[in-house]
Amino acid sequence: MKILVVDDFSTMRRIIKNLLRDLGFTNTHEADDGNTALPMLQTGNFDFLITDWNMPGMQGIDLLKAVRADEKLKSIPVLMVTAESKREQIIEAAQAGVNGYIVKPFTAATLNEKLGKIFERIDG
Amino acid sequence: MKLSDKEQLQQTIELTRALLSDLENEEIQSAQDKIEALSGNGDEDLFVEIGKLTRRLHEALNSFRLDTRITDIAASEIPDAKDRLNYVIERTEEAANKTMDKVEHCNQLADVIAKDSQELLSEWQKLYRRELAPGDFRKLCKRIESHLEKNKNSAEKLNSELSDVLLAQDYQDLTGQVIRQVITLVHDVEESMVNVIKMFGSIDRYQAAKGKILQPKGSEGPIVNKDKRNDVVSGQDEVDDLLSSLGF
Repeated sequence: MKILVVDDFSTMRRIIKNLLRDLGFTNTHEADDGNTALPMLQTGNFDFLITDWNMPGMQGIDLLKAVRADEKLKSIPVLMVTAESKREQIIEAAQAGVNGYIVKPFTAATLNEKLGKIFERIDG
Repeated sequence: MKLSDKEQLQQTIELTRALLSDLENEEIQSAQDKIEALSGNGDEDLFVEIGKLTRRLHEALNSFRLDTRITDIAASEIPDAKDRLNYVIERTEEAANKTMDKVEHCNQLADVIAKDSQELLSEWQKLYRRELAPGDFRKLCKRIESHLEKNKNSAEKLNSELSDVLLAQDYQDLTGQVIRQVITLVHDVEESMVNVIKMFGSIDRYQAAKGKILQPKGSEGPIVNKDKRNDVVSGQDEVDDLLSSLGF
């Protein structure tokens, strides 16, 4: 499974990559905002996208919308991992077609649980 | 000749104006003469008026001093504060990376210990089950010896890496001091702004705005006053509840 992790802070990307590795996902790649992530997604055959919301350049919500609007990418599962915790934002992400929403700070158990739920839904 | 009340008032006003102008031009002798001339009139109210004027002069001077404080803040202290906050970002990033480097190395050491121990354990169990050939026992003893030696070294490395992780937390003290300085500056800016509002603006509107809790639109990053906000979730459980209410 090839996963793209998008966050403007390298430490957060590293934390997520380490947690994914512990869960057995080793094929992970990084981007620091939507503008760098989108071309990678279009050419990279990614199976999964994990993105922050608040980033300079293209924000995570716009990346999500761009992915859903792209014929080739629209079915890729997207997990949002963000400090944004306003109800209207969570609703906006849900309406834009997010598959999971994790608020920072989060635990390894939460990440594991949300990934599990998303894969369960895809497989089932 | 007795002056009428109106004429006397007019004269007093003129003298007072002249007195103020003398004070502003620091012509003290001339000012003193005028004060004597005024006190000669026996007008008690006049001293009250002078008192008020002096007070206004004092306030005007103070507000001038306030202006220089604002200039200092804008010209050097705010840019300096930006540098300080950037320092906080750099130090915390450095500490996070250093900690993760060390933790990753500890993970690797622990993985090796676990893997070696597991292998040795299955050999050891063969011994119990009498599955070990006589010559293999000597080999097993050698392996146990080398395993113990390696574990001792790994434990020492783990200890030293963990001490480094501990030391990497010194960023909290350093960045804490810097952030405290910036908080003091923000406080000074707030005070200066309130003074300007008192002098030139409406203190009532300020008081009314003070009680409001801002709820900005768009992305805000971490919310630090969650308990005062009703438009944000308090944690993952509420996110999950909200999403399941939307059919997730």
